[in-house]
Amino acid sequence: GDVAAQGVRAALRQRYLRGLAAARGRPTRFCLREGVWVDAVFGAADVDAVAFQVDALRTPLGVQAAALLRCADVLAYSFLL
Amino acid sequence: MNDWQRKSPLDWETYVNKMVKVAAIEKHEYEGWVLTIDPVSASIVLATFLENEKVSISVVLGHAVQEVEILKEGDDEMKQRLSCIFAPEES
Repeated sequence: GDVAAQGVRAALRQRYLRGLAAARGRPTRFCLREGVWVDAVFGAADVDAVAFQVDALRTPLGVQAAALLRCADVLAYSFLL
Repeated sequence: MNDWQRKSPLDWETYVNKMVKVAAIEKHEYEGWVLTIDPVSASIVLATFLENEKVSISVVLGHAVQEVEILKEGDDEMKQRLSCIFAPEES
């Protein structure tokens, strides 16, 4: 029961972290609330899933060299391998 | 927390290697093969295979997931293909 669930949890988490590693440095589109989306280069995510660190965030006022996107504001993101 | 975030790792595992349709908040929909579900955030990682042999990865954050519907089971060949996507590089 608990031991099996913990093993599955570890396997799921490991695959997720490998996915984050694969995202690093890739152009990524973030879909935010209220139909807004932004393009940036994926940097990193914190372990508690509070925020994403991105580089080269494109905004209507220009490109921000570095930024933090709060996970609560992000609905989804995608990138190409 | 929504119903999806409250599921157990064993529940989430039943979606891995399956083609799903994810209904998210604000009427967004995503389709793809499930690579994994982050047990911390309940975020779903989906893969779609494009015509130019590239793979598109979409991650739907757990807090935004409303419903996940299974469309298709993955056969052994698909499972193998999916397991290679994030496999560590050989050193």
